[in-house]
Amino acid sequence: MWITLVIIHGLLAFLLLGAITHQVVSVWAPVRAGARNFVARFRAVGSVNYVNAVIVLYLATASLGSLLYTNYRITARLTLEQGHYWKSFGAFELKEHLIAIGLAVLPAYWCFWRPSLDAGDARTRRMLTTLLAFIIWWAFLAGHIANNIRGLGT
Amino acid sequence: MRTRGRFPVFAVSFAAVYAAVYYFALDNNWALFSYGPAVGEWTLFNHAASAGPTMYWYGWIATSAIAGAGAGLIVCLLPGNLGGRLWSGLAWLVPVCSIAAIAHLLSGYFKR
Repeated sequence: MWITLVIIHGLLAFLLLGAITHQVVSVWAPVRAGARNFVARFRAVGSVNYVNAVIVLYLATASLGSLLYTNYRITARLTLEQGHYWKSFGAFELKEHLIAIGLAVLPAYWCFWRPSLDAGDARTRRMLTTLLAFIIWWAFLAGHIANNIRGLGT
Repeated sequence: MRTRGRFPVFAVSFAAVYAAVYYFALDNNWALFSYGPAVGEWTLFNHAASAGPTMYWYGWIATSAIAGAGAGLIVCLLPGNLGGRLWSGLAWLVPVCSIAAIAHLLSGYFKR
């Protein structure tokens, strides 16, 4: 059961990573004219369309992760400690705190992406999106590395 | 940029207070509850599990969320337009500072 949950957790995280990456690229480097190549089309997405998806995916991925965390605590974490993988261990420890702080930011993130807000809120919107992107990328990579060290079902 | 409307005021206050309290909850182990995954044991506050490791992470989140929600409600209910004077940048600046402080706490793992 844990392996199935880890795979679902990974897939949800992958979707989340795609959504937030599209959004953060589009807020820092929006395309003004028609998008002609792959990179330009990647930047040209309608950022506001991703907000609800990012929030739902974040909550779903974090909820599943918090369930998996109980198993990690009594299995994979011991492997990391006993193998002296201290950097990976520290990266995973930081990941859990980043995820917790990401939860704090979600209401403001939703709020500052509302179309009714004026242009003066653009910086707050951009910084909140960038912060969430950093959290999601760190969490994805740290989880992936820990999973690679421990392996599935070992 | 000032914050307009009740929900934006709540959201900015929540983000800032939750993130700040989370750091102190982590540093001082102010967990609202604890969990022992090996024995499936939940206890109030930061009590060690009867066997195996103890997880405080859920408790730190609960502590921070309650503090953040309480602060958000109080700021929303302030008389006049005091909440409206809140700088919206606090919603990302305080979490960034909290992350930096937590990274400093955990820096020992990256120096081994």
